[in-house]
Amino acid sequence: MKRGQLLGSLEQIILLALVRLDGTAHGMIVRREIEERTGRNISIGAVYATLERLEKKGYIRSFTGEPTPQRGGRAKRLFRIEGAGKRALQISEQTILSMTAGLKDHWGTI
Amino acid sequence: MSRCPPPTFACRLLESVLPDAYGEAILGDLIEEYALRIESTSRSIASRWFWSQTCRSVPSLVWYSLRRGNCLIRMSVAVGVYIFMGTLKFAVDLIISKLLAPDQATYVVLAPIVFLTTTAIGGWVAARIRRGTTIFLALMVTITVAILIDLKVCSIPVPWWYQFGFLALGPLAVIITPALFGRLKPREVVA
Repeated sequence: MKRGQLLGSLEQIILLALVRLDGTAHGMIVRREIEERTGRNISIGAVYATLERLEKKGYIRSFTGEPTPQRGGRAKRLFRIEGAGKRALQISEQTILSMTAGLKDHWGTI
Repeated sequence: MSRCPPPTFACRLLESVLPDAYGEAILGDLIEEYALRIESTSRSIASRWFWSQTCRSVPSLVWYSLRRGNCLIRMSVAVGVYIFMGTLKFAVDLIISKLLAPDQATYVVLAPIVFLTTTAIGGWVAARIRRGTTIFLALMVTITVAILIDLKVCSIPVPWWYQFGFLALGPLAVIITPALFGRLKPREVVA
């Protein structure tokens, strides 16, 4: 696996959040999902910076939604996970599994 | 849905540093979540959350802005405004020295006023030309002031905090002025 294909921890968490949210969501929903599941209170800026990075890597795609009064007339930016993103998640999971295989007995000593 | 507007200054601050690509989306997300939080908690808690998100998002967004491909345009605008600021400061300094012929003490008082006014004007102009440019301009002001302090350009003996004030307040004036005096871009609200 090439270095650029490896997912950072936040990238991995955000991709997993998108999968949990049926593949498509906007930034604040992703942020809320992560906060609810992990208790990690990340900033919306960090979420969007990571989403933009993932989009550049071709793991997700973004498109503009409709502006609504609830958003002060500002349009939503929706993100959708792509096939490459799902594959990257699978590789990432396999990497973790292979690196942690047989280590359960050692947890107490680490 | 609550009609309480989110903290205006925080919105303006975000607008001045947000990159164009996701600027609308980020601010829209925050406004939407803010309205939901007002309903579930209170206005003060929601405002605190909004401010916390703003302050914590700015570093990521600044880094994101710096890494974006279109930073060359922003940098060019920042350089242009920087030259304008320098010219303005030089002209004001020249006028002051011709008209007032200030002594050292007067100069020590006038220098920060002139400096902060020109940086504030520069910040405002940069934000009007292109959103996100203020970050580059603030960076250039910081570097310039740091170099000038290191070169000991100021021949008048001044305390350390006086010079530190230039270093801290100069970039801050560049970033905060557009937020203070700018206007949020009007949006067409879909009913």
